[in-house]
Amino acid sequence: MNNPTVDRTRFRYPLRWRVMDSLEEGASLIWPRSLSRHTGWLLLAPALLLVGILVLGLVQIAESSLHTLDTSTYLPSENYTGENYLTIVESATYLRILWRSLLGAALTVVFTLLLAFPYAYILVRTSSALVRKGLLVILFLPFFIGQVVRAYGWLIILGNSGAVNEVLGLVGVEPIRLLFNYPAVIFGLVQYMLPFAVLLLAPALTAIPQEIETAAGSLGANWLQSLWYVVLPMAKPGLIGAGLVVATLSLTDFAMPAMLGGGSQDFIANAIYDQFFRTANQGLGSALALVLVAIGSLIVGLVFMIFGAGTLGMGAKK
Amino acid sequence: MTSSSQKLIFWTLVGISIITLSMPTIIVLGASVTSGNIIAFPPDGFSLKWYEKIAMARELRLALWRSLIVSTVCVIVSLPVGTVAGIALTRYRLKFVNLINIYLLLPFTVPLIGSGIGMMLVFGEWGILGNVWPVGVACAVINLPFVIWSVSSSAAALDRDLELAAENCGAGRMETFWYVTLPAVMPGVITGGLLMFVLAMTEFLVSLLLTDARTVTLPVQIYNNIRSIITPDLAAISVVFVVIALIAVWLLDRLVGLEIFLKSK
Repeated sequence: MNNPTVDRTRFRYPLRWRVMDSLEEGASLIWPRSLSRHTGWLLLAPALLLVGILVLGLVQIAESSLHTLDTSTYLPSENYTGENYLTIVESATYLRILWRSLLGAALTVVFTLLLAFPYAYILVRTSSALVRKGLLVILFLPFFIGQVVRAYGWLIILGNSGAVNEVLGLVGVEPIRLLFNYPAVIFGLVQYMLPFAVLLLAPALTAIPQEIETAAGSLGANWLQSLWYVVLPMAKPGLIGAGLVVATLSLTDFAMPAMLGGGSQDFIANAIYDQFFRTANQGLGSALALVLVAIGSLIVGLVFMIFGAGTLGMGAKK
Repeated sequence: MTSSSQKLIFWTLVGISIITLSMPTIIVLGASVTSGNIIAFPPDGFSLKWYEKIAMARELRLALWRSLIVSTVCVIVSLPVGTVAGIALTRYRLKFVNLINIYLLLPFTVPLIGSGIGMMLVFGEWGILGNVWPVGVACAVINLPFVIWSVSSSAAALDRDLELAAENCGAGRMETFWYVTLPAVMPGVITGGLLMFVLAMTEFLVSLLLTDARTVTLPVQIYNNIRSIITPDLAAISVVFVVIALIAVWLLDRLVGLEIFLKSK
């Protein structure tokens, strides 16, 4: 006689539940609930370790910067010495390269912000969704295409037989050397930094209510006045954030001086690269790298101290 | 904007920006289909022969393949690590949170040439230089803040009560994480993953430092070839990056909307 009632032992515990339960058990085994006060640290640990590789790298650079290159054996010296740093400070070449990089970074910041501000402003203020989308796509494409391909494009455009010189030739102008000089490097840096600057500026402009500008206007300010006295001061966190990122990235850039400067317009990063891969003077290269890290941190630290972190604070907004 | 002079000045500057941002892409696309043997203007005619040529070029194909490996390794390493870190930073009360923030921003504050050379020395010490995967790990390190950023902004939007409710209903820690926390931060995870993939794909300086002749990635290969001679086959291979960028922008727009980057924090 068949029993019609459901056979309870045949009930299948769903696989998903079993997986979850065993995961749960495993979790309790590895990380008992009594430790849950420290779960935050557990979750943070992998990131701390991963960034640790970078810290380890800096330690290695510091260590290697204290050995000079023995020119007779081409091996780093055994004893510790600060001689590499002395070489840098005393060398006119490195001071010139350093000055060129710092000036380049400053010029890049000025030009980039000049172009990025109106771009971000229209991006935020335009009433047309289509214009906004178009501007965003134009901004993101180069960001994702990458430095090398963009520099390659500029080499084609600005080369001696490139598009610009062809056009100039049509109106009877002799080819001009547009590449491999300082302005070419600055231009390359500006076009490379533009998306970064706009993306850092835009949120700061979004935070300024349009009504405030309207109010300034209704109180008799023309657009220049309301820009100068209202919008720019309120956009300061964004301007600082964008300026800082642009400054540090262009100060330490390698690709633009290398590709659009053609070896005659080296920045610090190029000098470091040459020490490692051309001269094989690892100690001097390391010392230069540390000097660059120090200058970068100094600039960031100074700006943070004077103006605050701007829009660059991370995570801790609860 | 009401004043027409403001409109004129702003749009002129924006026009300059638009040209500066788009010109290289357009020119590269144009140069890739020229039928001449050198890049000339106006182009000599239309031809796809350079695409044929790069399809045959073994070293470019291998470089592309290695770049894809680097990007994949980068995403596999950085995404889980950055996701849990982003969650930890927003959902948990941690001591020294300012110090942690400064530490986790190191990849952005240390110049790329510094991080690249440091990792070159470290990887050399570990004896793993000369492989392709360490380049992916290096890309994960230098771009990690991007993932943490995008995940923590998603996590900040999640109501803590939802997790408490799940636990109240009997969900364990893993279940709560898997069914409540993770889906909530998914937009941030996807954005972060996309960014990491594309940035690792186009990463140049660190790859230049960490690769040798047998392990060059595509951007480094293009850089090396430019140094010798500018021919249209490089334009054709560069189109790979344009296509990847187009897909990335489209995906980003579909998944989270590009407008999200305009939001004030």
